[in-house]
Amino acid sequence: MRVSVREVGIAKVVEVEGEVDLGTSPDLRRVLFEVLPTVGKLALNLGAIRYIDSSGIATLIEVLKRAQNLKKEFVLFGLSPAVLEVFRLTHVIRVFSVFQTEQEALGT
Amino acid sequence: MDDAPRRLQIKFSVPSDPRYLGVIRGAIGPLAAVIGWDESECRAIVLAVDEALTNVIRHAYHNRTDCLIELECRESADGLEITLLDNGDAPDRSKLCARQIGCDQPGGLGTHIIKQVMDKVSYEQSPEGNRFVASKSLRRTS
Repeated sequence: MRVSVREVGIAKVVEVEGEVDLGTSPDLRRVLFEVLPTVGKLALNLGAIRYIDSSGIATLIEVLKRAQNLKKEFVLFGLSPAVLEVFRLTHVIRVFSVFQTEQEALGT
Repeated sequence: MDDAPRRLQIKFSVPSDPRYLGVIRGAIGPLAAVIGWDESECRAIVLAVDEALTNVIRHAYHNRTDCLIELECRESADGLEITLLDNGDAPDRSKLCARQIGCDQPGGLGTHIIKQVMDKVSYEQSPEGNRFVASKSLRRTS
């Protein structure tokens, strides 16, 4: 799994590539928890994720709850078919703000 | 030679280290495809097996990476049967699928995924340890 962060105005976009599972989700969690307090909006691009398991979904839920506590926006975009299927199986998609493109996610 | 059909059976001894999860995922997907599931169903089956292994690592072995999980994948007459054996703590049955589905709580998603993907799931204690068995029939796939 590779994670990178870039700034877009007052927001930051986090790009994730590869597989998010029990072994890699702690790294994703660490990056998202570090970035979140520094921005108004954090947008996570899930388009290059080949695989995500329930520990990855749990990580996203944790970040969402932290964002709500910090009064920050945490949004997702570019969900790949593999990610969408796991969201469907876990019935959690409705708890997130999900967009198709980065522009939509950032409201630009 | 008898006329009984030859069916694939794979056995893995998997260290309880998350680094090996990708290896198992890489084997299960093609096996499910050969049996006859489509790409989406194969991904779901891979996920269910991965979740079962993850549960053993987290809850039976408490994230210790130096234990072993025996994984057997058996092609059956009408689908696939997965068996996991471990020697860790027994699963807490009160916590299996105890999470409310669709809520914003982070834990407990794995057992729901397994239950949704596979047709039959059982957890047993045997003299050999904890035994998890899950099967899925090709014919029941819509």
